[in-house]
Amino acid sequence: MKPIAAVISFVFLLAGLAYGQGMDNKPPVIVAPVGTVQIHAGATKDVELDFRIESEFHINSHTPHSPLLIPTALKLTGPEQVMVADVKYPAGRDVTFSFSPDEKLSVYSGDFSINALLKAPATTPAGTYPLKGELRFQACDHSACYPPRSIMVDFQVKVVK
Amino acid sequence: MKRNALVFVALVVAIMAMLASGKYLDRTRRHGALKLVGDVQGVTAPDFSLVSLDGRKVSLSEFRGKAVLLNFWATWCPPCKVEMPWFVDLQRQYGKDGLVVLGVAMDDSEPATIAKFASSMGVNYPVLLGTDKVSDDYGDVQYLPTTFYIGRDGMIVDKMTGLLDRKDIEGAVKKALSTTYRPVSVQQSQAEAEMKTKSAAGKETTQ
Repeated sequence: MKPIAAVISFVFLLAGLAYGQGMDNKPPVIVAPVGTVQIHAGATKDVELDFRIESEFHINSHTPHSPLLIPTALKLTGPEQVMVADVKYPAGRDVTFSFSPDEKLSVYSGDFSINALLKAPATTPAGTYPLKGELRFQACDHSACYPPRSIMVDFQVKVVK
Repeated sequence: MKRNALVFVALVVAIMAMLASGKYLDRTRRHGALKLVGDVQGVTAPDFSLVSLDGRKVSLSEFRGKAVLLNFWATWCPPCKVEMPWFVDLQRQYGKDGLVVLGVAMDDSEPATIAKFASSMGVNYPVLLGTDKVSDDYGDVQYLPTTFYIGRDGMIVDKMTGLLDRKDIEGAVKKALSTTYRPVSVQQSQAEAEMKTKSAAGKETTQ
């Protein structure tokens, strides 16, 4: 085999394996990169976290109309130097689907944002602190639903004096 | 030129094989070997032993000779709710002909919550508590509702994912009911009879 053919084969092999291994695992929701958030010690900061839902899917809002439905929820935990004081969710959109014409579901679809209010105590030393968490959601399309799953949400918080 | 074409075809085949194996390896790594993948029609439905909402152990093999509608669902799945009254009707209508509807709840909820929900839906068929194993055995059931239609002989006659029309569901039920079941003892006696006939025929020709 000529070298060029060998290289092409190798590239396709890697691409094939990568595609095959990742194709079933792709979540229908992604989070936009947050970058580093800067906050003054003793102050609060509102951080907007942006999410995108794949076009054919919807997920329950944070306040679905039935207790059986799984709400979208963001859990963020950080070090004691940076506290998550509050999490604000957008209101869901009441939608009727073909699979349930008599019932309105409160859902998010397309792009939506969740706001996290961060607080750095005055005693927090200057420095960069990691904030880690996850968004838990349960997605459906026009005819079926997927089990609840989570995606990672993490970013850095830089505390300045 | 011919050689180039051959190399190209070989490459395409190799890539397709890699895609398939990559997908299989990924799923296998996450869930262990899957028993049901691809087209499952004509494949023997994997047996299971699951606990029902009333605490009984229920195995699929108990229903050999019956047509089984095996529905994977969850309380958090609105499309699954739409089908449940249909299954109630179908159980009522075709139960006397040998239909058994089995619901498998793929919920993390407490059994009491599932039972309350099933009761509110008027469910008249056994609801079993699903496990990762039964999900994997049936091809990693992720998409709900997913329903398998199993013939009297234990073979899968159809699989439907997502919410479909009631008439499609009823059609699959009729297909499962139309299968025949020959118990092993009957199959053996038939085979023995055939062998005796052949052997007698052989003796006649040698005489």
